[in-house]
Amino acid sequence: MDGKSCRRLQSANLCLTFSFLLHFATQSASALSITVNKEECVSETVLFPGDTVSGNFVVIDHDIFWTPQHTGIRFTITSPVGNQVLDVKGTSGHKFEFKAPRSGAYKFCFYNPVAAPEIVSFYIHTGHIPHQHDKATDEHFNPVNVRIAELREALHSVTAEQKYLKAREVRHRFTNESTRNRVIFYTLMEYVLLAIASGLQVVYIRRLFGKSIAYNRI
Amino acid sequence: MPRLILLLIPTITLSLLLLLSESMRFDLRSGSTKCITEDLKRESMTVGRYSVINPITDQDQPLPQSHHITARVTSPRGNSYHYGDTVDSGSFAFTAPETGDYMVCFWAPSHDPPLIVTIEFEWNAGIDARNWSNVARKGHIDLMEIELKRLYETVRYIHEEMFYLREREEEMQQLNRATNSKMATFSFLSIMVCLGVVALQMWHLKAFFERKKLL
Repeated sequence: MDGKSCRRLQSANLCLTFSFLLHFATQSASALSITVNKEECVSETVLFPGDTVSGNFVVIDHDIFWTPQHTGIRFTITSPVGNQVLDVKGTSGHKFEFKAPRSGAYKFCFYNPVAAPEIVSFYIHTGHIPHQHDKATDEHFNPVNVRIAELREALHSVTAEQKYLKAREVRHRFTNESTRNRVIFYTLMEYVLLAIASGLQVVYIRRLFGKSIAYNRI
Repeated sequence: MPRLILLLIPTITLSLLLLLSESMRFDLRSGSTKCITEDLKRESMTVGRYSVINPITDQDQPLPQSHHITARVTSPRGNSYHYGDTVDSGSFAFTAPETGDYMVCFWAPSHDPPLIVTIEFEWNAGIDARNWSNVARKGHIDLMEIELKRLYETVRYIHEEMFYLREREEEMQQLNRATNSKMATFSFLSIMVCLGVVALQMWHLKAFFERKKLL
């Protein structure tokens, strides 16, 4: 009786650990881009209190050829009960990380103060590390699983950093291409304007020393 | 038989948990469009799922027609990979043929008075797109091994990304060097243009004044 029930418990435990690990194995998000016209909100569900929510976002300026530098957008994080977790204004990129005190749906909002729409590339990740006291009754719980979860979270933070760098690089590239275009355009305009100004000068001098020169000396 | 039931319960919980896990929600006003873009690499698998959250709390009630959305997934070239017309949920999976921005757009039909449709959306690409539970069940591999395998794949992906970032940084450096040399060339050219214009002016005015018998 004891052996059989133990074996049954063991297989159930194995399944539970398996499902436990795989469940947290699927927690991840990719870097997504959205167009923020005035206000865009995204909500993510945090399943366990004490989970670390980390993420970053970068504003990718497309039209910086003609318009002056964008003032930046406002980013807020609201907890499920309504408290403001984070509020940054006038930024073009930000990294955040906080420990969620309660579970529920957290709202991440971007506000664009300017009429021109902006593209924002963001990445949000909620990570959970199973603690020893979560499975207090389970003798077969393997502490290696905690280490694996910690390792996974560390790798997720590296991935998050990489996505941030990639988005910054895209933005940087737009700036550089715009600089090159502006250099070419403004220089050519300068030549054209110089030629026009000198042409006008010549026309003016010719008119000054026109037919009437013999009669009224200037 | 009882053991099977015992095995079944965690599997059901697992699938339920997987359904509840990491997905984001956003609101869509009726009559408006929202597009989400993701940068995908060539030959990377990607899986996406979307569903409309029923505003009526009673789960038995079907979703009202006003809440059915239209979704379309487009490649950077413009090809459509998935089109869901007036549906309440859907999923798509494909292998990206080229690197670029893939866009999924949602459109809610117009309604008077305007209402807000909440959509739950999940998009996984690369390592996350692979169905690890299937791999484990098929190969009867130890669960810890599957976890470590997954971690190894993540590390490999990070390594590849670093190479990609390095390449891009190299390109940007080339671009900056080219802009720098362009600026130098153009400054030199502008001095030449200035001197040329001056020379033209002087030649033309000299001829003009000589003609007018002033010089």
